[in-house]
Amino acid sequence: MAEPLAALDAAPPAPSRQSSRMTVEIRQTSPAGQRILIRGAGLLIGLAISVAILAWAGVGLGNLANEFIYAIFSDSRSVASVLVQMAPLLIAGLAACVAFRVRFWNIGIEGQMIFGSIAATLVAITDFGPPALRLVVMLMAAALGGMGWIFVPVALKLKLGISEVVSTLLLNYVALNFLLHLLYGSWQDPKSSFPHSEQYDAIERLSPIGWENVTLALPLALLLALILWWALNISRFGFFTRFVHANPKMAKAIGIPVLGVTCAAALLSGALAGVAGFAISAGIEYRMTQSFFFGYGFSGILIAFLARNNPIGVIVVAFFVAILFVAGQSLQVFYQIPGAIVQLIQAIVVISVAAAEFFIRHRLKWTK
Amino acid sequence: MTRHILRLLAFGLALVGLSALPAMAAFKLKGEPKIALVIFTQKNDGGWSQALDEARQRLEASMGVKIPVVENVPENATAIRPAVELLISRGFNIIIGSAFGYSDTFKELSEKYPDVAFLNPAGITNGPNLQSFYGRTYESQYLCGMAAGAASKSGKLGFVAANPFGLVNWTVNAYALGAQQVNPNATVTVIYTGAWNDPVKERAAAEALIEQGIDVIGQHVDTPATQIVAQEKGVYATGHHRDLREFAPKATQCSSVWVWDRFLEPEIKKIIAGDWTPPAYGAFLSIKEGGTDIACCGDAVPKDAADKITAEREAIVNGKQVYAGPLADRDGKERVPAGQVLSDADLWKMDWFVKGVISQK
Repeated sequence: MAEPLAALDAAPPAPSRQSSRMTVEIRQTSPAGQRILIRGAGLLIGLAISVAILAWAGVGLGNLANEFIYAIFSDSRSVASVLVQMAPLLIAGLAACVAFRVRFWNIGIEGQMIFGSIAATLVAITDFGPPALRLVVMLMAAALGGMGWIFVPVALKLKLGISEVVSTLLLNYVALNFLLHLLYGSWQDPKSSFPHSEQYDAIERLSPIGWENVTLALPLALLLALILWWALNISRFGFFTRFVHANPKMAKAIGIPVLGVTCAAALLSGALAGVAGFAISAGIEYRMTQSFFFGYGFSGILIAFLARNNPIGVIVVAFFVAILFVAGQSLQVFYQIPGAIVQLIQAIVVISVAAAEFFIRHRLKWTK
Repeated sequence: MTRHILRLLAFGLALVGLSALPAMAAFKLKGEPKIALVIFTQKNDGGWSQALDEARQRLEASMGVKIPVVENVPENATAIRPAVELLISRGFNIIIGSAFGYSDTFKELSEKYPDVAFLNPAGITNGPNLQSFYGRTYESQYLCGMAAGAASKSGKLGFVAANPFGLVNWTVNAYALGAQQVNPNATVTVIYTGAWNDPVKERAAAEALIEQGIDVIGQHVDTPATQIVAQEKGVYATGHHRDLREFAPKATQCSSVWVWDRFLEPEIKKIIAGDWTPPAYGAFLSIKEGGTDIACCGDAVPKDAADKITAEREAIVNGKQVYAGPLADRDGKERVPAGQVLSDADLWKMDWFVKGVISQK
């Protein structure tokens, strides 16, 4: 009994002067060049781990760069595939980006995409409005559909303080079941009685730009990115969002219309997600299918996160994520790598780049 | 009047057939045959996709070729197109799909690559180098319904189904018709989960059925959850896609199984030989033609019932029809007149139930 008490009384051993240790410090500044360097290093580390896994899975290292990069960029079909895949990813990324700018955590992008597509499909199958303006009407309807679906969680948050993380996520399932209700019910293809909508007429499709399967969905996505960049980085609205993002209470205290800015950004996010649904239905599938939205919600969130909620960054990241998708398929096709390893590699690359963010804000220092 | 219309229709069809004839030259493959399979989920999903992958393995063994598989290619054009085009760029010229959701994209690709043969189970599009195919699962589910009727003490059967449309409804009805062959008073209570692959809902549905005193449960979903619940609760079940004794050896009395290789091997040989002419409306395979069959029977099916099932299977192979008239729906409305057989078009549109089927609506 006496010993522990005595030990307590004793002074703690003095730290040895000789030993060095590593400390984490917050960086005061982070120049652009350094940021690019750190992110590049994150990407390289992710790729290095991936290469190690692939080598372990039996892919010859010599062929890898050739197959992975050359095979994609030397083949115009593969480049087109990347760009086709990129368009909806880009719009979904923008939808996440604008909501996250005001700390509205929109996990319901897929639900809003579904309602965007439902609204656009409603216009298409009822042949609403003059044919010449049909696509424009469909686009507007899609934006309104997505906006309408996010309005519910926005209202719930403002009126009852319900966390939008929960409500937007759960409403995805409601939207999916409503979609299935339509596709297995009144909206099933009258031609074949199968559970997808009837095909859109020619005037209801985003037309091809004349290169492989790339359609106007891509220019539309790029245009939206530029508009959003202006809205978030140049306009007064964007200026306000920075205050709201930094500190809503302080923003309110200095007279920023926090409520209006948050609502506007959240509704804009829903509208963009709706347009992403439209871009897939009218630009890729040419009808509303059961699973067109699948995976875009979390991809969109990921893209916005990696792009630091910057619309121009979203363009770049969406492009890389699309490459990752197509390259993942080529690994399966050429090397018979199981699908699970491809997903593992995609996750490792993304996590490495995301983890690099830590070193942009912090630095490690050896202290003696 | 009806006969008149029918004659007109037949004439019209003959005209269509004649005018289509010159265009229907047999498909010619260019270069060495290279086969690949593209799967929309994991190849080891325990159900639909795994059945297809097992057929692929049997084809590899019997034909002595390597058939690579690309998995996790969801039913979206953005995913299907690059996967298939990568294969084609590597010289693959016989592409086997795996899903209804591949239909449009396979159609588009088959037009873009006329020298490549496309085969798509559960698809709905066809062309000179594209063939969709599916099985007459009502035949195998009818036989499993017989096994269920024989294994049931209460005469109350259950059924866990995915979505209420033609190809699911026909398995439900056939199941009831089969059960009623053995026990004329048998009923089938069906629960639609609204999803093909949702083990949680399937479990809840199976448990709800068992609580109602149901002692044999059939299914047409993608997972073996129903069988597993039946085994846990000490009742019986029949399976779909594959022989589900793998997951519930005691409970499973019969399974409607896919035997795609029985259809694919002769089909691929025809493609290679250069005398493949895909039918305009795809292939709709009976047990005789390969595609679907049964793995039967479990211990709870008495010997005489098992013999009866074997005899009935033989009869179906020899042309017996499950949906032969006279057949009325559960409301008494005549659906198939005496002496006739339900047409394929009406099968795909089936939105009615036979007597003894109890559904949510």
